[in-house]
Amino acid sequence: MSTQSGPPATRTGVIHDIGYRHYQGPRLGRAAIIRALGWHSLRSAFGIGRGAKAKIIPVIAFAIMCVPAVVNTVGVAGGGAQSVHYDTYVFQLRVLVMIIFVAAQAPELVSRDLRSHVLPLYFSRPLRRLDYPAAKLGAFLLACLALLEIPLLLLYLGEIGQVGGGAAIWAQTRALIPGLLVGLAWAVLLASIGLALASLSGRRAYATGSIAICFFLSWALAGLLRGVTSQNGLGAGAGARLSGLVSPFTVLDGLRQWLGGTSPGPLPRPGDFGVLYGIMFLLMLAAALGGLAARYRKAGIS
Amino acid sequence: MTALDQLTVRVGPGITGLVGANGAGKSTLIKILLGLLTPTSGRAAVLGLNSDRDGERIRAGCGYMPEHDCLPPDVTATEFVTHLGRMSGLPPTAAKERAAESLRHVGLYEERYRQIGTYSTGMKQRVKLAQALVGDPQLLLLDEPTIGLDPAGRAAMLDLVSRIGAEFGISILVSSHLLGEIEQICDHLLAIDGGRLLRSDSMASFTQVSQVLLVEVDEGTALLEAELAARGLRPWRDERALLVQIGSGETYDLVRDAVADLDLPLNRLEQRRRRVEELFRDGADQEDRVEQEGEA
Repeated sequence: MSTQSGPPATRTGVIHDIGYRHYQGPRLGRAAIIRALGWHSLRSAFGIGRGAKAKIIPVIAFAIMCVPAVVNTVGVAGGGAQSVHYDTYVFQLRVLVMIIFVAAQAPELVSRDLRSHVLPLYFSRPLRRLDYPAAKLGAFLLACLALLEIPLLLLYLGEIGQVGGGAAIWAQTRALIPGLLVGLAWAVLLASIGLALASLSGRRAYATGSIAICFFLSWALAGLLRGVTSQNGLGAGAGARLSGLVSPFTVLDGLRQWLGGTSPGPLPRPGDFGVLYGIMFLLMLAAALGGLAARYRKAGIS
Repeated sequence: MTALDQLTVRVGPGITGLVGANGAGKSTLIKILLGLLTPTSGRAAVLGLNSDRDGERIRAGCGYMPEHDCLPPDVTATEFVTHLGRMSGLPPTAAKERAAESLRHVGLYEERYRQIGTYSTGMKQRVKLAQALVGDPQLLLLDEPTIGLDPAGRAAMLDLVSRIGAEFGISILVSSHLLGEIEQICDHLLAIDGGRLLRSDSMASFTQVSQVLLVEVDEGTALLEAELAARGLRPWRDERALLVQIGSGETYDLVRDAVADLDLPLNRLEQRRRRVEELFRDGADQEDRVEQEGEA
């Protein structure tokens, strides 16, 4: 490239073709590729690496989710008792925020790729068929966990900052751990259902709509069933105690109470029916994961 | 549904063209080679690896450019190709460098920082090629790279493919439904139809078959047909005209003499390239003809 002949002024702007160079460096294996895809997806779940508009919903959802923890801290500092429990947090608010977050962001992870037919480009790389949904699920699970658990940790920090003594801190910690586990169950179930529903449509609006409708309707239906069965004068009879089986949110709460959660939830205590909530949780999870896997096993390359 | 049936073929390095009408099984063949579809019977070996068992390793050494649109509109070409470089197993920094290089090689410079949605069809095709190239593959599988392009765009794309094959030292399998288009750049050609192999041959022998002479007379077509047959050619009808395989330079003289001797009003005499559909229609028939000519 040292044989420049013409006057330099006429050569500006010319990009010299230095020819093709083969890549000699290291190549990462399948596990590293899955991690890279997961990281990419986790970022997109919060709109990172995308425009400002993509960040609106995740940021607002996260901020709203943190409000009760802050309010509780302020209340406790003013001499009040702890009003927000680790295992339920603020149930209604949590349901609402999670519906909005999952409905808005699950399509961001999977529907966009379906819409623009990018999948063949993934499947023609050294990945297996189910690696793609696995990476997406892992990423979305982490995103939901962040939304559910970080407010719990804030709540915990607010509490232990104001209680004195090792025993009190230990009591707080013991209460926090079941709360974190409940959050994990929420993240696993909601992320799976959300992605499975979102993967059915390449159209974002349809995907978001189907998730929102599915969650809202089942949630409303559970409330309705509880109301109807309670009005029969049965109190917390069998009907009311079973009414929660129709919605993922009430199933999660039934599971919590069955496993020993003590804070009052939206359901009457399921009592002997608790095990049904455990089974329903597993069934819903299996259906969502099975649906997701089937979708991507079938998804054509073309 | 059977897309490919009893297809046995062997392809060496260099640029190989895969021609066939729409629905002939070109895309299916490419997907089997990538290990994305499993053949119900038989096997495929790519880069010395079995497509059934070693799909992952094959795909690590291959770049694939699909036929249809596969680009998200709302990311820049740089971001997109970098991400797919990562998906090909490149470390982050290498992916960035290779993405920039691949995009430069396909002729996208400043445009690569713009969102893909703003690109022309030609530029989109280049991005599709760049993402196939980003992992520095040993083999490129290009499914209809010129689809949807205008003539200038087609020429540019073919030139690019030809350069990648010749200068980059990457073997290429390129499919098209237009023989006339890819025969300019191929070393070897495969023709398939209805999932069956029609021909697999070096480019030179293929071109020979595809050269025909079209003779059209205002009247007396049947007479001319008989006369040409009597002179040792094997004419066949194409609507109102007759087609004759061009064996050597003598063919022209024979046709000219036949028309002159019969005193027929010659309307048209042109050298034509057989369209690939014609090659399919009487493929077997044609093979027969070539063999006979070989013996003569």
